[in-house]
Formats: sequence, C-alpha cells, structure tokens
Amino acid sequence: MIEPLIVFRGIKKNYANATILRNVDIALYHGKCILLSGNNGSGKTTLLKIIAGLETPSCAEIEFSGKSLSWKKAIQGVRKEIIYLHQHPYLLSGTVESNVSYGLRFTHLNRKQLRDSVKEALNWAGLADVAKHKAKTLSGGVQQRVAFTRAWILKPKVLLLDEPMANMDLESREKACDLLKRMKSEGMSIVITSHDTNIIDGLIDSHFSLSDGKLD
Amino acid sequence: MEGILFTTQKALYLLLTGDSELWSIVMLSFSVSLKAIIMTTPPALLVAYSLVNGHFPGIRIILAVFNSLLSVPTVVIGLFLYVMLTRQGPFGDLRLLFTQNAMVIGQILLCFPILVALGYATINAADKRVRETAMTLGAPWWFTILTVLYEVRFGLLAAVLTGFGRIISEVGISMMVGGNIFGYTRNITTAIALETSKGEFAQGIALGIVLLVLALVLTTFLSYVQGKQETST
Ligand SMILES: Nc1ncnc2c1ncn2[C@@H]1O[C@H](COP(=O)(O)OP(=O)(O)O)[C@@H](O)[C@H]1O
Ligand SMILES: [Mg+2]
Repeated sequence: MIEPLIVFRGIKKNYANATILRNVDIALYHGKCILLSGNNGSGKTTLLKIIAGLETPSCAEIEFSGKSLSWKKAIQGVRKEIIYLHQHPYLLSGTVESNVSYGLRFTHLNRKQLRDSVKEALNWAGLADVAKHKAKTLSGGVQQRVAFTRAWILKPKVLLLDEPMANMDLESREKACDLLKRMKSEGMSIVITSHDTNIIDGLIDSHFSLSDGKLD
Repeated sequence: MEGILFTTQKALYLLLTGDSELWSIVMLSFSVSLKAIIMTTPPALLVAYSLVNGHFPGIRIILAVFNSLLSVPTVVIGLFLYVMLTRQGPFGDLRLLFTQNAMVIGQILLCFPILVALGYATINAADKRVRETAMTLGAPWWFTILTVLYEVRFGLLAAVLTGFGRIISEVGISMMVGGNIFGYTRNITTAIALETSKGEFAQGIALGIVLLVLALVLTTFLSYVQGKQETST
C-alpha cells in the first residue's frame, strides 16, 4: 500500500452563519490527480485555499511526514510544498519572464541557475516567444499557461488547480491537459476542481464530489 | 501700496533672476516637507496594509480615528506640538521648538493620517489575488507586502503626492513650531504671511507663484498617475 503524501482530516469551515465544509478528509498521493466536482458555491475554492494555507479553517488536522498536527501548527511547513492556482490567475505587472521567475527568488538558486531554469521552463511551456511581453496584455489562455509555468518551475509536491478548464477553448484545453500530464509524470500530486465532470480524460485517478459540505 | 502690475513685475524679476533669499526660502520648504513625506510614507503604508489585511479587533475604530484626524486643523496640530515641545512641556529638554526638526515632526503628524487613509483605500481596492499569489509562490511576508504595494504603486504615488501637496502648503504648523526665523525656519508659506503683513507684496507674490506652479505640476502629475493606476488594474 502506498503512503499518502499529505492527509487533511476533519476540515470544517464556517462563515458568519453558514457552514461551508463540515468534515472533509482528503489524502493526496505522489503522481496522482484528484478531480473535485461540485455545484457552484459548494465550497471547492474554499477547500483548495484551506489546503494551500490561504484560508483559515474553523478546524482541521494535517498528517505530514509521519506527524499529525493541527492545521495551524503544520500549515507553515506544508505550505511550501503546495501551490494554488486561481480560476482566473493574476499575473503580476512586468513581463512573462518576471512572472515565471517570481517564486525562484525565494529559493537558493544563484543567478545563472535561475536564468537557466526560467529559460527551460519557458521552452517547456512554449512561451519562449512571449518571454519579454507584458504579462497582463496576453490573452486569457496564454495567461493561464504563464500561471501554470510560474507554479511548475518551483516543483511543488502538490498543485491545486481551481477550475483550470472553465475558460479555455478546446485547443488550449488540450495543451493544458498535456502540461498537466507531464507534471503528473514528474510525480506531482494534482487536485483539479470542476463543476463539469467529464472534461479531462486520461488525467484523473480519483474523483470526489463535494455537496452539502461533505466529500463523497 | 504700489500698483499691482508693478509688484507683479518685481515678483517675476525676483523669480527669474534667481534671487538668493527667495530661492533659499523655497529650498527650505522643500527640504522640510520632503524629509517629512519620506519619513511618513513607509510606516503609514505599513499601517494601511495591516488595516486591510490584519485580523485584529478594533480595525473599524482605528480607521474611524484616522479618518477624523484628517480634519484636524493645522493650528491645532501646531498648538499641540508647541505645548509638547515648549521648555516646560514634556519634551522641552529636547530643545526642538523653533527648529526645522519641529516643523518636520508637525508635518509628519499632518500627513500621517492622510497617507494611512488614502493608502488604506488604495490597498483595499487591490486585487485580493495578488496577496494569495505571492504567498502561494513562497514569498516571505515582507515580500508579499512589497508585491501588493507594487501592484498598486500608482495609487500609492497619488496618495504620497496628495500628502506632499498638503504639507508644503500648510502654514499653521510651520508658523507655530518653526517660528518663521529668517534663514532657519522661514519657509514659503510663513514668508508669504510675514511679507504680506509688512506690506511687502513682491516677495510674497513671487513665493505664491512658486506654490501655484507647484500645485499645478502636482495636480497634473496626480491625474496622470491616477490614470495609470486605472489602466493598470
Ligand atoms: N469570505 C467569505 N465570506 C462569506 N462567505 C463566503 C466567503 N467566501 C466564500 N463564501 C461562501 O462560501 C460558499 C462556497 O464558496 P466557494 O468555495 O467559492 O464555492 P465553489 O468554489 O465551489 O463555487 C459560497 O456560498 C460562498 O458564498
Ligand atoms: Mg470556485
């Protein structure tokens, strides 16, 4: 039996007077892709942000590298391994290149390694041509790819994608799907949310649906 | 009283011939107000950022306090500071009264709430995804703050320009805690007040023109910068 990479247990989330999540357990595995489906407003985005450490749960526990701790205690360490991608990614002002290299500043790469790494990533994603373009001026599909690349270059253990296919035409979907398969084959654990369940073939290993604050 | 035309001619002459007394007064104004705005901007923006993103109680009350501080008249700030700095006052030993540093402190008190209030509005309007993006890409807390501030830099620059325009044109604080000492604490506004009371209009008008031109430049630049912020978001 394969050990999970990270397990989140008993995630609960309340807003003022509404319960959004009421006892969600979710385990993430190396090189596996989970599809999270659910209606609009069912709490998919909230769940991903809690996993990424961007939203605070009312309560939750995390099992990671043999230890089980409260979300609050564990999240600082876990967050470094997890990247969340917005449904509509926000590209920072500056070029495509500066967006892609953003997270690398916080690693221990030297300047040459950083430059090589960015170059490799831009080629990998087919973005070399637009490397010097202002990121905010690009079309939605290309922006999405820049956001993928900006995350991939950091080689996180877990990648959380919020409705990545919702605003893409067929061609960009295929391209994005291709990129995701490559990420998976590199051992990344991927979680994708979608309210449309049968869009992504050959990528999904397990499928859960979120309704009434619970995962099935 | 001399004819207005003649006085204006004299004023222009002073300006264009680079009258050293006049321009040293102008430089003093800039020196004091630049120091004040430079020292105010970082802490005020940090406070504004914390008010937007912090999760501590009383944020609404703190905001309300800063907003009401916006309308405190400069003479009241001047009076308060005078009482603090006067020989018998709590900070009398610092010997700051009637110095440029006292003027700087007073102008800091004046523009701090302005920068907090305008900075808050600007940062609050920033896209919430900026902070989340920085955090999830591994930025440490201080770089996350810099990233958010950078994304709304034009709005923040507009706030700083507004604050600068306010302090370089104020007269109450400079007069009360600076004392209008020639060559030492006399700035544009206190000089205008003095010259006018003496009936010497030429220098007053010349300095007034400097202030007006400055206001014009600031306002033009401000609307340019605000346009930039709108197109960049
Ligand atoms: N900051 C918030 N305050 C109050 N309610 C919120 C907040 N964020 C999200 N919600 C509510 O939580 C529910 C789940 O939202 P979300 O996680 O975005 O769902 P999904 O991504 O599945 O569409 C929605 O009903 C939404 O209105
Ligand atoms: Mg959502």
